[in-house]
Amino acid sequence: MKFTPKHIDGNVNVSKTHPLAELGWLAGGLMLLVLIFCLLLSVSTDIAVAKTPVSAEVWLGEHFIGRMDALENEPLQRLLQPLLDNLPADSPLHEYHFTAQVVENEQINALALPGGHIVVFSGLLEQAESENEVAMVLAHELGHFAHRDHLRRLGRGLGLTVAAFLLFGQDSAASDLASKFFLVSESHYSREQESAADRFGLELLVAGYGHAGGATDFFARVGQDAGSRIPYLLASHPHPDDRVRELQGLIAANGYRVDAVIPLGKDLQEKFPVGEECPGEESKPAVDK
Amino acid sequence: MLETILNYSDLSIFLGLMVIGYTCGTIAEKRHYKSIIKREKELVKLMVVNAEGRFAEGAVRTSFLVNGSTVVSNDYFKRLLAILRNIFGGRVKAYESLIDRARREAILRMKEEARSKGAHMIVNLRLETSTIGRSANKKKQIGSIETLAYGTAVVMNRP
Repeated sequence: MKFTPKHIDGNVNVSKTHPLAELGWLAGGLMLLVLIFCLLLSVSTDIAVAKTPVSAEVWLGEHFIGRMDALENEPLQRLLQPLLDNLPADSPLHEYHFTAQVVENEQINALALPGGHIVVFSGLLEQAESENEVAMVLAHELGHFAHRDHLRRLGRGLGLTVAAFLLFGQDSAASDLASKFFLVSESHYSREQESAADRFGLELLVAGYGHAGGATDFFARVGQDAGSRIPYLLASHPHPDDRVRELQGLIAANGYRVDAVIPLGKDLQEKFPVGEECPGEESKPAVDK
Repeated sequence: MLETILNYSDLSIFLGLMVIGYTCGTIAEKRHYKSIIKREKELVKLMVVNAEGRFAEGAVRTSFLVNGSTVVSNDYFKRLLAILRNIFGGRVKAYESLIDRARREAILRMKEEARSKGAHMIVNLRLETSTIGRSANKKKQIGSIETLAYGTAVVMNRP
């Protein structure tokens, strides 16, 4: 046999597909899978949430609150009472026993936890100026309870975490990747619910206080220094300015009165002192910070 | 802009690594292929077969072992493609070029050694993958392909 030296052009061992095209197909496919899964998950959570009795939720809340290191707050509870007294007679919220708590945390935020626990971060109280706006925040959280958003979020988060663990194992790069896609879609998820809770909160505030004063104050202030201090609020909620605009539209459409606000009570300030914005309380020493 | 990057720092790091992996990986691969093809053309006359050599008595002056080995590293972008392939199945196209490059480079190094020692041909070519990187696909490990090519270089008794 004769050996004929010849260089062979071309290469059958390497696919010709451009790597970026392959990335497009694979990432697109993954996105589609995640999207379908999210859709199924949200439909099934909606069904499950509708069938979860309040008693089961209270049990869940007890286990959750145990870890939150929360303390019941008397003055906050006092703000909550007029709102609860003015709930519509057929409201499902009557089944709950609501508690309002303050947690030491710099974030300007409040949470609705399963079982009727409203947690207000001290960062929010620190910069609040009137009783009405804190009441608006509480009423907004009551709105989340009324729509059972808190359970929905919990169910979705739980479902996704479990799914990622089952599919890819606890610390695989694929589940990291899936959770990255999930986080992006999650922030969009609650925007409509936030607006719905805003509307519910406004109605309750008007029912409790007789006027809509202070309803927009909190969001207006948050909108002014939006950015550095409140990344959490911006990430999962609508932009504060949009919320102010929407609330003002509702106030005008329903012809609500906007009266003077009641300054934040001494008891709330003493624990979480306000700056000089509050009239007559210029130099409050910082107590128990 | 900077704030967005800081807020999503892990996502930014991930994207950054991907861009670095893609650009550096593509440049390295192009240069490597260029060099492989050039050297293959230079060495094309040196015969390599994987058959056992049978020679007439007195035809072979001497024979000796030659080998060439190479390690080619994975990059972050290829790894991402492979991870995605893990979900859908199918050919891991991103890794095909790594295998191809490692094999051809190993054979070339072996041929270069044979030529420098004056061999006329290489018989009994064998290819193996070595095992330093067996744990390579574990997280936070360096992924790489290692190929070892070895054969018997033969120097003929030619006038």
